[in-house]
Amino acid sequence: MLRLENISKTFPGTRALDGVSLDLKRGEIHALVGNNGSGKSTLIKILAGVEKSDPGGRIVVGERSHDAVTFSPRDAKRAGLHFVHQVPALFPWLSVAENLAIGRGFETARFGMTIRWPDQHARARKLIERFHIRALPEMPLVALDPADRTLVAIARALQDQDGEHAGVLVLDEPTAALPGPEVERLLATLRSYAEAGQTILYVSHHLDEILRTSHRVSALRDGKLAGTRETRELDERQVVGMMLGHAPAGAALSQPRSSGAPVLTIENLSGRAVSDVSLSVARGEIVGLAGIVGSGAAELLSLVFGATARHSGRLLLDGQPFAPRDPADAIVKGLAFLPADRALDASFASMSLRANVSLPRVGRYFRGLRLRHDSERKDARDAIAKFLIRASSEEQSLDTLSGGNQQKVVLARWLHDRPKVFLLNEPTQGVDVHARQEIHQLLRAAAAQGTAILVASSDFRELCELCDRALVMAKGKIVAELSGPAIDTHRLTELSHFASQ
Amino acid sequence: MSLLLQRYGLAVLFVIAAVTFSLLLPDSFPTLLNVRNIAASQAVLAILALAALPPLIAGQFDMSLGSVLSLASVATASALSRFGLSLWLALPIGVAVGALLGFCNGVLIAKVGVNALITTLGVATAITGVLSWYTGGTSILTGIPDALTDVGSGVWLGLPQPLYLMGVVALFVWYLLEHTPFGRHLHAIGVNPSAARLVGLDVERTVVRSFVLSGALVGLAGVLLVARQGGGNPLMGNYFLMPALSAVFLGATAIHPGRFNVPGTLLAVFFLAVSVSGLALAGVDNWVDSIFNGAALVIAVALSTILGKKRRF
Repeated sequence: MLRLENISKTFPGTRALDGVSLDLKRGEIHALVGNNGSGKSTLIKILAGVEKSDPGGRIVVGERSHDAVTFSPRDAKRAGLHFVHQVPALFPWLSVAENLAIGRGFETARFGMTIRWPDQHARARKLIERFHIRALPEMPLVALDPADRTLVAIARALQDQDGEHAGVLVLDEPTAALPGPEVERLLATLRSYAEAGQTILYVSHHLDEILRTSHRVSALRDGKLAGTRETRELDERQVVGMMLGHAPAGAALSQPRSSGAPVLTIENLSGRAVSDVSLSVARGEIVGLAGIVGSGAAELLSLVFGATARHSGRLLLDGQPFAPRDPADAIVKGLAFLPADRALDASFASMSLRANVSLPRVGRYFRGLRLRHDSERKDARDAIAKFLIRASSEEQSLDTLSGGNQQKVVLARWLHDRPKVFLLNEPTQGVDVHARQEIHQLLRAAAAQGTAILVASSDFRELCELCDRALVMAKGKIVAELSGPAIDTHRLTELSHFASQ
Repeated sequence: MSLLLQRYGLAVLFVIAAVTFSLLLPDSFPTLLNVRNIAASQAVLAILALAALPPLIAGQFDMSLGSVLSLASVATASALSRFGLSLWLALPIGVAVGALLGFCNGVLIAKVGVNALITTLGVATAITGVLSWYTGGTSILTGIPDALTDVGSGVWLGLPQPLYLMGVVALFVWYLLEHTPFGRHLHAIGVNPSAARLVGLDVERTVVRSFVLSGALVGLAGVLLVARQGGGNPLMGNYFLMPALSAVFLGATAIHPGRFNVPGTLLAVFFLAVSVSGLALAGVDNWVDSIFNGAALVIAVALSTILGKKRRF
């Protein structure tokens, strides 16, 4: 039904995909698994035609074979590949019928001016029936259960297939936003589609869903296909094995450092996606938070930094009660935070490297009623040297630097003042291998100087390389703790995937 | 090379316009009288354009500049003429009225979260109504002390006195924007408000302050308008809004391309003034003013969008 042959993709500095071949049979649910950075999302993007692949690969759908280099979104659509993403683009305040018609066109009277609502609703009713959606055409989408909303998105994608179940449905983490019972209903519905002959490529982190739903599992590891196997021959441990290989990945490089009195203590902290979390980080210690999407690790950092409202619980800083009202308050008390989305939350793209580094403390350069630009400039130059930033001048605007160097500028911004506690979310996301090692090196140096570091990452190898202790988070809670040499990618992957069931 | 051209392109255009009109109109354009006239008449506009800078740099549009200018000038004139207050009381009243309106705009935009364009358009419309009720639509022309109007038309060391006030305001705004933490914070908030909050900047308070500062400067421009015109006019300010915005945007294509800046703004004000004055002296009707200012605004923004390649406004 769908065959990928020898798909490769090279980014500057990394090989995201290396000769991947995949074969989907008609009417099967084919699961695609892989850790962060395995090349999963790149593969989906190539399949959707939004990312150009390296020469040499082919995408074969049914009878037709396409060159993977020139495969465009239009080709994908014409070939019958339909994509439904994690957060589908739906319109909550429009009716089900309207949501189904958007992007396709409405049923109109002869001259295409007025919408004929009876026809529109009749069409919607047929789709609702065909895709087992629990809804009426007139209902606003928000009135539907979450699983049904996802089904509306699926129905919208598949409504125009020639045959009832021609084409391939590609689902990218469709259950990420669904509560537990809803997941089961969505999966059951997907199974019934497959029985009727629909081919589905199912991308997910949730191994239990994959084992219950799919017919076959393919795993990507470091851009290569690690294997395709029949699901009934597999258990969770074996899937993890496929994802990680059997090499002892990144054995703990770090020796446990002195763990003195805790600098940061979190007691029974709860927020929107975090419930009742307690932990502590000592001076000079690097503690990792391992968690897949939706684990709550990201929110935990933001709660501690005062950027998100805490519902309950208590924080202690150096043993003293600490309740930051907002980020400014947390910074004054000695905290620093590196958010996951650099472009959105950390970088001032059109401002100079110098201004980006000095921003939180620019007031300190204001002496004798003027900004001491020369001393600010000197500090920026020192930062370039100390934080291994590759830039031609401190006056360069930030957006002229590579991603890795921008990230080092953000690190320099915070580490300049030797914060007591440094909170980091996905510190090396979208950063090349070399810069990643340098960033790790800089973080270890900061810890050696006494900063307590709490780092959330879904890149478990990163946590193995970096952390003295790792806490596994799932569904807003801490479910396990590993320390020192016991931290390894296998254990972290198993624990975080199993616990999220 | 291309950076040099971007930085000084507007200055080159200014020189070309000045030289061209001097050659074409040797008897009327390059005369001391005309130069003084241009300089004096642009001081109010220049101060208004400078006043627009702080909120714009923080990413907030202010469409009420013109009507706040009218309000401040009517308030000053009314304090002098209807209430017979002394100059030393009336002038601060003009500035304070501007600052108060700026504070209202700032609170509505930054604290309440109403869109800046909507807030300031609403405020502008309401002010126009209040002014028309208070003045009955006519200017307040009596009882303005000569001491004030003398400043409006006076000359000091060969230059019109309003020009000195403009110079002081320009230096002050330039200092605030380039040499204080406040200016840096405004830039950061304009570039990325979400990141600004996460590096600990008080986004709301900084934006409110930028509007208060802007309002006070508009108030000062209003006082100068009274000095220039010998009275307060309830509608006059509206004629200044578009030229001021044109100048600010055109100014952002020069000196520090891609950034709203003080020298660029002044250069733009005088480029527009020289061109319009030259055209008027050449016998072109004065509706050309509007066309020229409007076209300059659109072309300036188009140019800076093309040159600046990313969102910097």
